Amino acid sequence: MFDFGITCLWLIPLLPLAASVIIALFGRRWLPDQCHLPCIAAAIGACVFSVIAFSAVASEPQPIAFGKDLAWISAGDVKANFSLRADGLTAVMLVMVTFIGSLIAIYSAGYMHGDPGYPRFFAAVSLFLFFMVGLVLANNFVLLYACWEGVGLCSYLLIGFWFAKPSAATAARKAFLVTRLGDIGLLIGIMILWTHSPGHSLEYDAVFAHADKYPSGVLFWACVCLFIGAAGKSAQFPLHVWLPDAMEGPSPVSALIHAATMVTAGVYLIARCVPLFALEPGAQLLVAGIGGFTALLAAVIAVTQTDLKRVLAYSTLSQLGFMFLALGSGIHFGEHKLAALAVTAAIFHLFTHAFFKALLFLSAGSVMHAMGNVIDMRQFGGLRKALPITHWTFLCGAAALAGVPLLSGFWSKDEVLVSVYDAWKHSPHYGGTYCLLFFSALFTAGLTAFYTARAYFKTFWGEEKLPPEAGHHPHEAPPIMAWPLRILAVGAVGVGVVLGPTHLFAKMLETRWAPPHLAAHPPGPNVVLMVFSVILAGVGIGLAYWMYVIQPSAAEHLARRMATIYEFSSKKFYFDELYDWTIVKPITILAHVCRIVDTYLIDGLVDLVGMGPAIVGYLVRPVQNGLVQFYAILMALGLAGFLLSVLLR
Amino acid sequence: MTHPYEVQLADLFRHLVPEAVLIVFACALFIGGLYKADRRLWGGVALGGLAIAFLTLLIAPASQNLAGNAVFGVPLLFDQLANVTRVLALATGAIFILLAWDDLPEKQAADHHACLLVIIAGVGLVGCSNDLVALLLALELVSIPTYVLLYLPRHDDNAQEAAIKYFLLSVFSSAILLFGFSYLFGLTGTTNIAGSLQVLYGASVDEAKSVSGLAQIAMLTIAAGLGFRITAVPFHFYAPDVMQGTSTSGAAFLSFVPKIAGFIAIVRVFGFVVPAGVATPIERTLVGIGLSDQVPTLFWFLAALTMTVGNILALLQDNLKRLLAYSGIAHAGYMLIALAAAPYLSSSESATSGVTALLFYLVAYGCMTLGVFAVILMLHRPERPVETVDDLAGLSISHPGVALMVTVLMLSLIGFPLTIGFTGKFLVFFGAVSVQGPIAWLYPTLAIIGVLNAAIGAWYYLRIIAVMYLRSAVKPIETTGPLPSRTALIVCVVLTVLLAVPPGAGWIMTAAAQKALRPTQPAAMNQPQP
Repeated sequence: MFDFGITCLWLIPLLPLAASVIIALFGRRWLPDQCHLPCIAAAIGACVFSVIAFSAVASEPQPIAFGKDLAWISAGDVKANFSLRADGLTAVMLVMVTFIGSLIAIYSAGYMHGDPGYPRFFAAVSLFLFFMVGLVLANNFVLLYACWEGVGLCSYLLIGFWFAKPSAATAARKAFLVTRLGDIGLLIGIMILWTHSPGHSLEYDAVFAHADKYPSGVLFWACVCLFIGAAGKSAQFPLHVWLPDAMEGPSPVSALIHAATMVTAGVYLIARCVPLFALEPGAQLLVAGIGGFTALLAAVIAVTQTDLKRVLAYSTLSQLGFMFLALGSGIHFGEHKLAALAVTAAIFHLFTHAFFKALLFLSAGSVMHAMGNVIDMRQFGGLRKALPITHWTFLCGAAALAGVPLLSGFWSKDEVLVSVYDAWKHSPHYGGTYCLLFFSALFTAGLTAFYTARAYFKTFWGEEKLPPEAGHHPHEAPPIMAWPLRILAVGAVGVGVVLGPTHLFAKMLETRWAPPHLAAHPPGPNVVLMVFSVILAGVGIGLAYWMYVIQPSAAEHLARRMATIYEFSSKKFYFDELYDWTIVKPITILAHVCRIVDTYLIDGLVDLVGMGPAIVGYLVRPVQNGLVQFYAILMALGLAGFLLSVLLR
Repeated sequence: MTHPYEVQLADLFRHLVPEAVLIVFACALFIGGLYKADRRLWGGVALGGLAIAFLTLLIAPASQNLAGNAVFGVPLLFDQLANVTRVLALATGAIFILLAWDDLPEKQAADHHACLLVIIAGVGLVGCSNDLVALLLALELVSIPTYVLLYLPRHDDNAQEAAIKYFLLSVFSSAILLFGFSYLFGLTGTTNIAGSLQVLYGASVDEAKSVSGLAQIAMLTIAAGLGFRITAVPFHFYAPDVMQGTSTSGAAFLSFVPKIAGFIAIVRVFGFVVPAGVATPIERTLVGIGLSDQVPTLFWFLAALTMTVGNILALLQDNLKRLLAYSGIAHAGYMLIALAAAPYLSSSESATSGVTALLFYLVAYGCMTLGVFAVILMLHRPERPVETVDDLAGLSISHPGVALMVTVLMLSLIGFPLTIGFTGKFLVFFGAVSVQGPIAWLYPTLAIIGVLNAAIGAWYYLRIIAVMYLRSAVKPIETTGPLPSRTALIVCVVLTVLLAVPPGAGWIMTAAAQKALRPTQPAAMNQPQP
């Protein structure tokens, strides 16, 4: 079993890579309409091997490692191997990524049908899966960084998939540049770790074993830099602006990359580095603070958005904020060893979120498919009867997100709240801040229920209203799209109750991943907190029901009463405009100045230099006159010149 | 009375089987050609001859009988350099037969291939020679069939003018070379190269001063005579005219084969590779017949002049063959950098030591340039000529695969990483930069001149890529090209990429850099010097 597990390890990334290469090379010519087949086969294959690797990990106390001696880069002191590892954390992520990836690949086969870029789409999706599983399998920071950039590239390619549309091209560029900004932080963080790690090793084990020997300031800044990288990839404030725009990509891409997998890479990174973060309460507070603030900010913005996919995008931001909030609450002080528990809460929320958010995006995609690519909630409504399957699956996802009791979101959000509560109670220095964060998180949970219910009611309830683009008979999703929706709906409803209260998930992480000095047994459920969050969810949903179903005029009335806040929320607190004026505009002006200098001054000089050889050439050219006696004379003269120069020296 | 080296001299014939095979096949072709005019048949026979020669080379005895001081008596030396040269010559011969396959009238094919086989044998013998007379004979074995070769494929005025030009200037250069040999013989009293090296080494420091004037004249005239073959400036004038005038296969031939012979002859006669058995003096850090730093300085100037003139004049060319002629001059300049640095690097073990870098660059230059000539041969048709750079316009649309391969070759000629041209330039320049000694600053300067030249050179190579991809043809090229030249092109491109990086690059280097290439030094030489 052990050996077989190792074999699986390198097969998991290899399958999607092979699929990508096959589609890219042969797709357009030989299987123009069958391009989804290699992608789906590779995703399902990777999923099967991930499950095998998972069971191998579960049966072995030691992490599975592969390729420790497979040298990749060896340049002076910088060494990196193609080393892969699978422990509890990796196994959980692998299963999640490949399972959701398989379903979304199947769904895409229906959704993207007939698109001229069909082969390109599946090549990019396969490549993305390769980089994503590589990212979670990497056993050193260099390989992680390479895959990190790889998923960024694929995200760029897929957001800009319809590159002829200016808004899509702009969104792709924005996403790439903003995440690159974060990547610089990650790179600096890795360099700091490299400078101080024993033997300049960047293998995880070497870096983490050395964690308590770093000089304190150094470790703090390393953690901050790593978090900047994570914040860029996971779209946390102030680098959150790219994610809502990324919805320009096809809906399956939004579901796969911008909800379930890539954006959670930042969460994974911080979870992976928790042995470092646990020693730096300041850095943890920063993580928790940024996470909590982003959760609240995004939830407030989500309340007023009218674009269904944008509501979901802001909700993703908000939920990612919850995960970071949990990660930052893992204080490690005295007998209170909460770090591993907090990571468990965050990763559990990541896991359940991947199910219900992918489901919501795919359902939204199905709505969009039926509405002729219209996604503005003001233009349609009451789709309950027209799209029954989509309606039910969306309801499952929305209920899970809103935190309806016993559904998956309920369990994981509760764990997050518990870890923040514990941090408040036990943090030696920052109890007050954690208290603030706790109540803000409770309020955000209420808002979450409200905006989710709002999106659901506005789309599926009320009077039936269809946009002209949809035609007269909106068509329900075909089976190839409907079945992934059904499976994900079952997951969104059930995965929490199976894994949460039974502590299966927590035990997997605790025994197969958590460093011994960070581990502690999970506490029992906090019943008071549960009841409280159920009440909040109920209030949020009820309010939305009242405002958008019973009394539709109430919403507008309220918006007029609270015009300032409404305006700020619907304009996303003017972050885009702010960045545009403070960063983009000045750089553009500088670029124009540079261009003028370049065109008129530098180009002129360069042209002058470039003309030099040509002028010399024109001067020398007459010597080559084609007369053989002249050549012989020149040869003799040349020899004579050399002789004289040597002899007369 | 018997000759003191009777056994050792008799031993030579066992080693000469490959050359003998080539000559036998050449004779068969000369005679057979009288009875039947068939280019396929004679091309196949010539390829077969090369293959058999290669096989005999593989099974040739590994070591030569050099008992006693026979190294000072035998005219031929079968060391590592000899083997590398012979393999290179045979491979080049095979490529040329493919290139010339369809460029020849049926009637001349047999004669052409026969001449080619003789030339290949001659190049191999240049690599083996250890005697001035043997070296001269080997060089003439290359030259004389070349005159025929240039004359055979085409009989128009231009081709005849080119053949005559080459003939006159080649004879002139041979005369200069012979003049230099006579000085060397007068100075050392022997025609044996190992022997003359030993005499020059053996001369004490004071004596060296008194003979240095004569030695320098010998050195300069020899360099001038061989400089004709490697198209070193100012002995290069024939190259553009002759290559433009003669047939394409003839131009391809002139661009490469005389360069192999010339460079290997320089390495031999200047003693860049010291034959085993010659005792090098302990206090001397340089090798070769340079009794001082005169040899490196001479090559320094030749290198700087050659690459600069070649590149600058190439900028102005529109005719492809003329452009390739100047490009060949420029690349000869880069190879001369390796020779200029070689005497200082002979004790280093690395691949950047001059002679290894030179051999690598020779292989690299051959792959790239012959590949480009293969494209011209493939696509040129009387009704749609490929003569000038502009004739390649629109190639990316009509022949995307060929255009891509030309791009690879051009990038390699520029010296783009991951191509053999880059590896070659890297070895050469790195060797020049790593020279140490009293006037070592000269060599990094030479490397900088080389890099500047590479930058100038990028212009006219990139221009070809730009024409292929950015311009469209008035009349697109329609022919797909005959199979033999297409095969030659593919072989060249594959080698250009394959030999650029390990393990491919390592094959050449291990072949070129084994111990026989370095001077055998007495143990005392290895001790640190004050």
